[in-house]
Amino acid sequence: MTRTEHVALKGTREGLVLYFDPTADFELLMNELDKLLKDSVQFLQGAAVRCYAGKKEYTEDEHDRLATVLRQHQLELAGWLTTEEVYVPGQAKSYAPDDKETRLWDEGMAEGSSLFVERTLRSGKSVQFEGHVVVLGDVNPGAEIIATGNIVVLGSLRGVAHAGATGERKASVSAYHLAPTQLRIADLVTRAPDEENSGRGPEIARIKDDQLIVEAAGMNGWRGKVR
Amino acid sequence: MGEIIVVTSGKGGVGKTTTSANIGTGLAAAGHKVVLVDTDIGLRNLDVVMGLENRIVYDLVDVTSGNCRLKQALIKDKRFGNLFLLPAAQTKDKSSVSPEQMKTLAEELKEEFEFAIIDCPAGIEQGFRNAIAGADRAIVVCTPEVSAVRDADRIIGLLEAAELRNPKLIINRIRPEMVKRGDMMDISDILDILAIELIGVVPEDESIVISTNRGEPAVMDQGSKAGEAYRRITRRIKGEDVELMNLDVPLGIMDKLKKLVGIR
Repeated sequence: MTRTEHVALKGTREGLVLYFDPTADFELLMNELDKLLKDSVQFLQGAAVRCYAGKKEYTEDEHDRLATVLRQHQLELAGWLTTEEVYVPGQAKSYAPDDKETRLWDEGMAEGSSLFVERTLRSGKSVQFEGHVVVLGDVNPGAEIIATGNIVVLGSLRGVAHAGATGERKASVSAYHLAPTQLRIADLVTRAPDEENSGRGPEIARIKDDQLIVEAAGMNGWRGKVR
Repeated sequence: MGEIIVVTSGKGGVGKTTTSANIGTGLAAAGHKVVLVDTDIGLRNLDVVMGLENRIVYDLVDVTSGNCRLKQALIKDKRFGNLFLLPAAQTKDKSSVSPEQMKTLAEELKEEFEFAIIDCPAGIEQGFRNAIAGADRAIVVCTPEVSAVRDADRIIGLLEAAELRNPKLIINRIRPEMVKRGDMMDISDILDILAIELIGVVPEDESIVISTNRGEPAVMDQGSKAGEAYRRITRRIKGEDVELMNLDVPLGIMDKLKKLVGIR
């Protein structure tokens, strides 16, 4: 998904949907839309777009402006969605102004920019990123990852991992083999237990009731290979 | 064109110099023209291990700074006419050589020799950067200790950053009986973390201490277990497929090692 402050563009099973903040000024919306499409237009050319702005209704003129802006970016306005029609995946709720804050909060952990590290992080290496970090490899002792979002390691996590580094308590750290030197989520810190028990399969660490807990990641079908 | 191989580890005391001396001597014994280069300026040891200390006239810094020609500084080994040593300077420090100078030297050595073995100093500073500057291949030496493995991991990362891909691993001073008791990291524990190709496992061996003090590399001692391990490593460096190693089953190496111990 691409988004600006008041405009969001999402791909759904039924095609592209543009979300407008109903409380925002129309001019502002158009400016943001123009900017948003400029950045992503290569991927989208020729697509039909439906729009959604809650219960807000726009005038004929505004409607035409919107169609014009979309056409400038080779997009076609295919119609409007009602609150009932709009499909909102996961915890993301509809775009009503009253729950906007919580919605952004939820999506902050479920979506957003990500960094893919396609190699093993060895001792002395530090990765810091505003967003989620995915490591296709191991994170060895002496290496660290600090992310404002989630951390996923497709390998062994033996170094230090800090998810939700700016205080997001909903962040999680998951790994095929979760054995970090130290694990931090938001403001909570834990050490690895002293005894090493391997072969537990993929695990995920997150905060529940002010406690950092580790549980098996629900990937039973994939756990065939025991280390 | 020859090949420049740097022997490195990060941590000190794991056996870089011993390994360099034995690999170099082993390759020379197999008939290759070899030069050993000691880059541990200020703390030179390789000449002592090779028993050539009293023949040093010029050293590495003399060559790189143009005080003498390369040929003048090379010391011919006692037993092999095709083995040479380029000793480190003892009265200077690491900053007296630059990576660029080492690259130039490496090019010169490649013209003359089939193999140049570079003995790297401990640490990750200037001395390390000098040692790896001209290298084509790297061998990382590691002992079965958590601290050595940690440092080796860091070194492998730095080697990769310096475009020295696929370094090879030698696990040194392993004690099979301690591994068996569970008191020492075993090979698979180490490979789990370092995840690079293992080209040799050298058992702890008293004969290494003796041969080091005498200045006679253990690789020439047919009765030494460590010597046998170094002979196999030498053959593997030349590209031979030597039996002891089977990377897929690291435990198999241990079994064979134990068998080896049992025979003697």
